[in-house]
Amino acid sequence: MKHKQELSTNLRRYLKKTRQRKLLILSGQIGFLILFLALWQILTDCGVLDSFITSSPSKICLQLKNLSVTGELFRHVWVSTKETLIGFVLGTLIGTVTAIILWWSPLLNKIFEPYLVVLNSLPKVALGPIIIIWAGTGQTAIVTMAVLISVVITTITMLNGFNETDENKILLLKTMNATKFQIFTKLVFPSNLPTLLSALKINVGMAWIGTIMGEYLTSKAGLGYLILYGGQVFKLDLVMTCILVLCVVAAVMYLIVAKIEKMLIKWRN
Amino acid sequence: MHILELKNVNLTYYSKTTETNALKDVDFFVDEGEFIAIVGPSGCGKTTLLSLVSGILKPTSGRIFLNGKEVTGVNEDVGYMLQHDHLFEWRNIRQNIRLGLEIQKKLTPENSDRIDDLIEKYGLKEFAKSFPHQLSGGMRQRAALIRTLATNPSVLLLDEPFGALDFQTRLNVCDDVYSIIKKEQKTALLVTHDINEAISMADRIIILSKRPATVKNIHVTNLGTYSSPLSRRESPDFSKQFEKIWKELNDNETQTRVIDQSAPIP
Repeated sequence: MKHKQELSTNLRRYLKKTRQRKLLILSGQIGFLILFLALWQILTDCGVLDSFITSSPSKICLQLKNLSVTGELFRHVWVSTKETLIGFVLGTLIGTVTAIILWWSPLLNKIFEPYLVVLNSLPKVALGPIIIIWAGTGQTAIVTMAVLISVVITTITMLNGFNETDENKILLLKTMNATKFQIFTKLVFPSNLPTLLSALKINVGMAWIGTIMGEYLTSKAGLGYLILYGGQVFKLDLVMTCILVLCVVAAVMYLIVAKIEKMLIKWRN
Repeated sequence: MHILELKNVNLTYYSKTTETNALKDVDFFVDEGEFIAIVGPSGCGKTTLLSLVSGILKPTSGRIFLNGKEVTGVNEDVGYMLQHDHLFEWRNIRQNIRLGLEIQKKLTPENSDRIDDLIEKYGLKEFAKSFPHQLSGGMRQRAALIRTLATNPSVLLLDEPFGALDFQTRLNVCDDVYSIIKKEQKTALLVTHDINEAISMADRIIILSKRPATVKNIHVTNLGTYSSPLSRRESPDFSKQFEKIWKELNDNETQTRVIDQSAPIP
């Protein structure tokens, strides 16, 4: 009896310790943000930093308020988010389908391997002028940029995952007389669901890079447009505000994907 | 009629630079309900032999008959069990066990019932909805065996099915698998490098030579009076049989070593 009690106090102490550590990490994270913002505000207030060049938290808040009141902010956020979402979905889809085709045919895989390597190392932004000439100066060009940036990395990530499927598991299915299609649907694809989800996570970032890059090249609206405009007319408040909003929107998208991952991969520890 | 018969089976691999004779005139038969073990030096082609019987590989020459019919392609009448259980982590145990029937499109209501009976009979019912990572190594191997039995094959091919388990678990799982196979009255062909395992489970032991592998001898264990592999290990005859098979396997090595040494001399 005494032993049991001792154990439970030890356990309680252990649990308390882990809880305390979690709390410490969280307060550290929030504390850093507060410290950073406070320092920024104080330094600009007493003139050490020039708020014309660095902006300041209070000015950003004001800018945020003004932009929200007119509804301007939401319009721009929506334009960029839409472009990113389309680019993200198309990039992931096209990349995954390409990976499936290349997995299916080892011959095609071998033929296109060097092209994939070259395409992967090519900075897609360099294609900007070509995209504008081919896709016009509208949103199509921006979405194309987002797709281009995410599609190659998706293809490579998924193809690697497919090709690394456990040979012995494939053998097992072959002894059951499985067709190639069955091997894909029963084993190769489901075992690569985690790969797909990590590709999705990467693609959230990639699609945003593509969208902002595209908007820098050609746009009439969107967060990238606002940032570029703000920089050109030296409105650093506007630039900083847009970057802040961008951080929040991208983080929300990432969290949604992470949530989906948790829901889909229940079988994992 | 024998349930399985290999007649002068030869297999040659080809690669860019060499051709390798893996099997040479392999010739043996298996009767219904028999438990046969195949032992041989490592790399002699034991696994290849199972691939041939399952129809994944085709022999270069010679013929293989299963239930009187020649094996020409992948054969759904054999069940293959590998060294690792290879349960799919994203399927629960019941779904894993149903895999073979799904693939062979034989998931009829009666087959489904038969599977559920097997799951219940062999104590997996409480794990039916669990995922593989929640099971112990022994339980996982049992689930893998039930998955193999689910398609109701007439011959089971066991490729070192206990190789990945620790010694303690290994002895227990060995007993477990043996009793299930006997209860289900299946014919089994076990490949192993463990002579003890072979003697404790098999009715007859086929001893293969070094590559190119050929049947060197067939050893009859005659331990049918003992009920389980564990009790067979206690038989006074056990160590004598071990010694005999050990000698034959080693004989083979010294013989080939002599040949190997003489080989480079023109």
